[in-house]
Amino acid sequence: MIQLRDVSYVRLGSPDLESAENFATACLGLQIAERGKKDLYLRSDQRAHTLCYSEGDPNDQTVGFEVEDEASLQEAASTLEALGHAVHAGTAQEAERRKVRAFIGFRDPTGNHIELVVRPERSGRRYFASRDAGITCFSHIGLNSTDPARDERFWTQVCNARVSDRIGDIPLMRVNAIHHTIALVRAPKAGIQHINHQVETSDDVLRSYYFLNERRVPIVFGPGRHPTSGARFLYFRGPDGMIFEYSVGVDEIEDEDTHRPRQFGFEPTSFCMWGAKPAGMPLPNS
Amino acid sequence: MNNGRATPLITSVCYVRLTVSEPSASARFVSDIFGLQRVADQDGEIAFRSDDRFRTVSLGQNSADGSSVGIEVWDDTALGEIGRRLRELGFMVKEATASECRGRYVQSALLTEEASGNRIDLVVRPTRSGRRYFPPRDAGIVEFHGVGLRSTDHARDLAFWRALGAEVSDWVGDIAYLRIDGLHHRIALYPSKRNGLLYAAFEVEALDQIMQNSYFMQESQIRIVQGPGREAASRQMFLHVEGPDGLIFSYVNGMAEIDGKPRLARQFPLNAASLCDWGSESKDVPELRAPGR
Repeated sequence: MIQLRDVSYVRLGSPDLESAENFATACLGLQIAERGKKDLYLRSDQRAHTLCYSEGDPNDQTVGFEVEDEASLQEAASTLEALGHAVHAGTAQEAERRKVRAFIGFRDPTGNHIELVVRPERSGRRYFASRDAGITCFSHIGLNSTDPARDERFWTQVCNARVSDRIGDIPLMRVNAIHHTIALVRAPKAGIQHINHQVETSDDVLRSYYFLNERRVPIVFGPGRHPTSGARFLYFRGPDGMIFEYSVGVDEIEDEDTHRPRQFGFEPTSFCMWGAKPAGMPLPNS
Repeated sequence: MNNGRATPLITSVCYVRLTVSEPSASARFVSDIFGLQRVADQDGEIAFRSDDRFRTVSLGQNSADGSSVGIEVWDDTALGEIGRRLRELGFMVKEATASECRGRYVQSALLTEEASGNRIDLVVRPTRSGRRYFPPRDAGIVEFHGVGLRSTDHARDLAFWRALGAEVSDWVGDIAYLRIDGLHHRIALYPSKRNGLLYAAFEVEALDQIMQNSYFMQESQIRIVQGPGREAASRQMFLHVEGPDGLIFSYVNGMAEIDGKPRLARQFPLNAASLCDWGSESKDVPELRAPGR
């Protein structure tokens, strides 16, 4: 079984790195770690980078997950190949661009581009935000799925993900104690549905709501609170249509052995217990 | 706060009595929309509960004995002491008649007016209810929390409240947050061109209820005057909503507690960030708005 430890980074293609940089610093509030010729590296926590914009097609979207060591990486490659997934062994140069020791790339059953990485770089300097959004870390992603039941089997049987809760047939899955690291979303094609950063307090969620509104950043859902994870949230739209989320107060699963996923109905109150309705963002099953 | 006494002079803001143009329309707002429990009318006044008190809000049309704010006084000795102090300062103080006490559901009272002309009832033994509070909808209201008052005579009004034992916790411009118990404030005085109640605030359980009520008001097409927001000085989260006659009712939660240690009132500038840390603004209520916005 492939042992995912944590989500490590997201790589996004963008035709306009300048707009991406403006949004990431002036609105989202990330710190610029490094500007390469065709890459923009952004920090959100103690890691050297957690988001990278690369000059290119916005449909090129990749999620990196950290695994234990190079032996685990080799094992994962054999597991995936045995199941018929084409596995790309990352070159030294590619690994350097990702600031990791080694990695492999493959596609999940929906076709999402996934990378498994070993020893992603940390930074010696603490994270210092470009604006006071209160970001504490990059935490999870919403991942498109053309068949949630099939993809749930992939993430929980081939990999070590566990279902924390379900809304309809949409699983929220964890790879560590945090309620979810991967939230599947029913969609017609592969892609990242949203990128989550944790913030310090619910004050930060509300402050950003007014702040982003004033800057005419489209708020697509929230401020609200998920009854599943307990998190207070705000979803908004960034460059190339990508949705970003701030949230705070995500539950931790205390007892791994006895936790049973709860079933929530597929209805608006399962997504927000405050009464927020998505605007310009489809609910994950529609 | 106790002015050297073993017990405080006043202990709570215990009710608001409001004169409205159409009591039945206002009553629908207060119960169906805002979520207070309507209880039996008395002498043409419609009454509501928000906690274990017998009633905390009443609506009437009689302007002769109209709007007032009830302040609970420790006992009759304290009431006498306050009466003496207020007369010394030149404020009008009148002993309530038996019928005035009955209409206020209290045992004894002094009826006064601060300098702006806001009528303040100083009351002893306001009635409690034996039955628990049972609201018409799940707005999460825990208790009647306090009031914001419009003030046209800032210095004299402050002298009035200080005579009752209230202390200024903090200033935002000349807005004074007045402390009468362990919380940052129960009464706030807002400089204004006129007098009257600015808002009546009701505490809810948590941020969840502030936000749920915010979406409920949007769906019910009720005007939100300001919020969801958070006062910078008191850390109190709020949602101010408007009913008939421009009446503002507020949901609040999370106010800072203040221990008994001597504490200097802090001065905040009168700007948008002092009035709301999150960034909400009031467009139409001048008392809640920073100048130049």
